[in-house]
Amino acid sequence: MRFHRYATPLLMTLWLTGCATQHTDKASLYTRLGGMQTIDSVVENMLYRVADDPEVVVFFANTNIDHFAEAFATQLCDISDGPCQYEGPPMDRAHQHMGINDAHFNRVVEYLANAMADEGVPLAAQNELLGRLAPLYDDVMRLQ
Amino acid sequence: MRISTRQVITKIMLPIIFALGLAVSSQAFAGSRLIGTGGVGAIEGAAGGGLSPWALLSSTASGQEVGSTATVSRAWLDDYRLTVEAASANIYDRVEVSVARQTLDLDTLGGELEQTIVGTKVRLFGDLLYHPWGIWSAGIQHKNLADDSIPKALGANHGQGNDVYLSASKLIFSAVAGRNLLLNATLRNTDANQGGLLGFGGNNRGRDWVAEGSFGVFMTPKWVVGMEYRQKPDRLSAAQEDDWQSLYSAYFFNKHVSLTAAWLSLGDIAGLASQKGAYASLQATF
Repeated sequence: MRFHRYATPLLMTLWLTGCATQHTDKASLYTRLGGMQTIDSVVENMLYRVADDPEVVVFFANTNIDHFAEAFATQLCDISDGPCQYEGPPMDRAHQHMGINDAHFNRVVEYLANAMADEGVPLAAQNELLGRLAPLYDDVMRLQ
Repeated sequence: MRISTRQVITKIMLPIIFALGLAVSSQAFAGSRLIGTGGVGAIEGAAGGGLSPWALLSSTASGQEVGSTATVSRAWLDDYRLTVEAASANIYDRVEVSVARQTLDLDTLGGELEQTIVGTKVRLFGDLLYHPWGIWSAGIQHKNLADDSIPKALGANHGQGNDVYLSASKLIFSAVAGRNLLLNATLRNTDANQGGLLGFGGNNRGRDWVAEGSFGVFMTPKWVVGMEYRQKPDRLSAAQEDDWQSLYSAYFFNKHVSLTAAWLSLGDIAGLASQKGAYASLQATF
């Protein structure tokens, strides 16, 4: 099949680059994100974007922002295998009956992604963190 | 009349689409889904990769939003030139409706073939990014040839037909060298020859199930490269038909404008062997 003429070299290249990465990336995601300093900057950057979005910022009306920033940074540190233990409420309880819909959720994901890019987090680490956060969608939406 | 239609596309529609896209760039009313998650415009009008529809719905509209797209595409093959003008709407990220007009210029044989495709795609369940099984959609495409005399001379039975398909798409984060990987699979039931441009039905067989698949690697959040494969039936004994494949690169300037370039290998078409060529597609999203 002609298919293989294109597919085989392309898949081989992808596979080889994938392997190469796996062998060199020994550092934890937390380290590759840039550690706590970068995580704090990302959270702050994201919250400025949230503050500029009237449809999303309303969810933070009764929230102590400093407390939220610290809790979210701890959660990102924990989920990226950093030296932190997130001890806040589970995601379903934390977002219970807030009326969050897909549009709100997607916007916050975009703010986080843009904040990471803005703060110089390498793309591979950005993608990996988003991948670890993606399963939280179900928890956040469970009790809406 | 035909020539003026083509001039309308290239001289008027292209600049309008580009200007509208740029005018609303980074303004409000962009959908809230992440950039690139609406794919680009497939040649049959649905959101997809180019050759094949994908399960994701067009634009970046989420469940509470509506979106729309306008796309112009052209393929330059050895003996043919395909032009597609298409538009789609996404309603609440649940239903996508699309319309496409395809014009195939028979550069070597002389004349042209034209068909209109009206499509609907419904998201059954899931999400491209967040659901462990990805997003699943079902769709239907009603295709109608403007003039079926050439297809019928080649042995086609009808000048119109319907395709139905089931499609699944999934983005895998950080899958290839830290880059996100987009996977798509589509199963289509069809009686169309060469997508419908050579009519529907034939002397070899009736309806077929065909498989289509693609992958794409997001080199950056705005740039995806990959390949697509579309299995095809072969039911006209007078004109052998081959599977289609492409290597593509799509760049999303922002949520409103994307440009796709591809290399196509479409095999034999209407008796002319091994058709290869370039493809370009410009999409504006609102």
